[in-house]
Amino acid sequence: MNLRVEKGTFAYKGGPKILDDINFEVRSGEILAILGPNGAGKTTLLRCMMDMLRWNNGRSLLDGEDIHSMPARKLWSRMAYVPQAKSAASSFTAFQTVLLGRSSRIGTFSQPGPEDMEAAEHVMNMLGIMDLADKPCHAISGGELQMVLIARAMAAEPEILVLDEPESNLDFKNQLIVLDTISELASKGVACIFNTHYPAHALQRAGKSLILAKGGHCSFGSTSSVVTEENIRSAFGVNAIIGEIETPENILRNVVPLSIAEPREADNTEDRQCIASITIISGTNEPADRINNLLHEYNYMLIGRMGLPYRKHGLYIINISVDGMRSEIEELSHRLGLILGISAKTTYAKGEGTWSK
Amino acid sequence: MRRDGRLPNYWKIILILLPFAAALIALGIGRMQIAPGEVLDVLRTRLTGGSFTDMAVEKTVMQLRLPRIILAALVGAGLSVSGCAFQSLFANPLATPDTLGVASGASFGAALGILMGFDLVGVQFVGMIMGGAAVTLTWLAGSGKDRGGLSYIVLSGIMIGSLFSALVSLIKYVADEESQLPAITYWLMGGLDKASFRTLSFGAPVIIAGIVMFFLIRWRMNLLPLSDDEAKASGVNIRALRAATVVAATVITASCVSMCGQVGWVGLLIPHMCRMLFGNNHLSIIPASVSLGAVFMIAVDTVARSISAAEIPVSILTAIIGAPFFIMLMRRSGGWRI
Repeated sequence: MNLRVEKGTFAYKGGPKILDDINFEVRSGEILAILGPNGAGKTTLLRCMMDMLRWNNGRSLLDGEDIHSMPARKLWSRMAYVPQAKSAASSFTAFQTVLLGRSSRIGTFSQPGPEDMEAAEHVMNMLGIMDLADKPCHAISGGELQMVLIARAMAAEPEILVLDEPESNLDFKNQLIVLDTISELASKGVACIFNTHYPAHALQRAGKSLILAKGGHCSFGSTSSVVTEENIRSAFGVNAIIGEIETPENILRNVVPLSIAEPREADNTEDRQCIASITIISGTNEPADRINNLLHEYNYMLIGRMGLPYRKHGLYIINISVDGMRSEIEELSHRLGLILGISAKTTYAKGEGTWSK
Repeated sequence: MRRDGRLPNYWKIILILLPFAAALIALGIGRMQIAPGEVLDVLRTRLTGGSFTDMAVEKTVMQLRLPRIILAALVGAGLSVSGCAFQSLFANPLATPDTLGVASGASFGAALGILMGFDLVGVQFVGMIMGGAAVTLTWLAGSGKDRGGLSYIVLSGIMIGSLFSALVSLIKYVADEESQLPAITYWLMGGLDKASFRTLSFGAPVIIAGIVMFFLIRWRMNLLPLSDDEAKASGVNIRALRAATVVAATVITASCVSMCGQVGWVGLLIPHMCRMLFGNNHLSIIPASVSLGAVFMIAVDTVARSISAAEIPVSILTAIIGAPFFIMLMRRSGGWRI
């Protein structure tokens, strides 16, 4: 499955262009984060992408087929939308709300049948919110409502999940619950696209990112190449540093805003050849394929690779040595870090060595 | 309450039996008291093709009370279910069947019919046409906006409603003071005394068709209160669903108003009572509104025609019963949501 937006342009009637020449592509199992300052048109981008607003120019293609000419029922059994929780207060119980997600699969004059009930229960169990089933949606917390809305979307068994600021207005714990859910759904093969105010969430969760600047232009690519200090400065007007925080398992990237930026010329940080070693520890078999596929993509810069099963503790330890451009190594290690259930760290060599040439 | 929002079986049985029980009791109440057993006898002999021994009893039950009770049941059920649909469509607990101006339009039509000296069926016909015309005008005036479409439609409903109210006043102003003005005034107050099988044969099929329509799409109606984007993302043709809702509610209300004038409160009171009893899922509140609306209207009309020698206009009674009952419900339940 792939969802592609080609040359998307949009302006409200008589207004300036809000989106200008938007291009991106998402495949099964990928996470795309859409970043941008307030008012840049993130929600508008999602709405155009889903054909809730009509692109002035350009189009959205699902497996090569223009979304605009697809029957609604067909489109919405493959794609699902999670609105912002604050705009979606519902008076139904959580279970009945989730059941509404089955609409595209239930006939106009029919009622939900046993298989719809099962699907709703299955999704709620999967997301761990079955205990909310009989509570009315106006009587649960914002974080719980967000999970119910994600469950409603997932009840349609979509291939693409589109979320509008799923983690805004939530506290730390609920943000993590929502973000973990997104990562988990992606690992099951669902393509997830979400809007966010937090570049750190893009760095920590998304393989691909799109930054929308005022004026409607966007930069799209792998997160490590798009969410950079330079791009944050030009899109958000903020000087920020991207720092790395070391945890026992991983190196997490974070964005710390420093000051409001003065407009100034871009300074190009130079990319250079680097040698590095990446250590991966995996606790389950499940990610093995994903790691192998990823390494295969970067085959050209691998100089050594060693796998070591440690059966006593059920762990698998992989060491990879790479020789490539710093930006590419960063990209590889970032993408490894997004795979659930593994730990990965990268160590860079300090320039050239003198050891026994 | 069941998890999927359906009515429990015992409630289904109660809601089916209640209107028939109410009708049976109401058939016996009035100036001439008739025991339920005798009422049943009359109905049975009539159904089996025989004729009842006591002609006065048979005439009272079959020609005076039965059409009136059928009309009460249909009006109660129709207005309740339309009110319920509009509250969900506009996501507004204060929406009534008249929100789009249909009752004002139908009243204008009926007043016009009386002014022109039409008979009852003629008045009914003009009323229905004008009710439909008012909603069409509202829809044309309010739609076509990209955003907030439904709130524009509610606003234009208020405008068109007051326009037709003004036209009703104009007709009252030019009407003959001796005969037409009292007829119009009394008609506007609402009453089921004009019920006959002749008017019913014209108005009832429309009401029944509307109710059946709502009944068939009752699960789909759960999508009505959703925001535009959510509704679109459900994969359902939401415009068609909204249009079906408006058309069904309009024909029901126009038909009710053209047969018995403006009967307020039913469309507000009964749906809210059902929401408090059964939650907001249309799987249960559509059937419940139909049943309890019919029972309520049969009860109120029975009181209206039997409490004193002269008949009390039914809309006065619905308001007198409705307002305090509504306040009590609201205070006890701590409010509600759509």
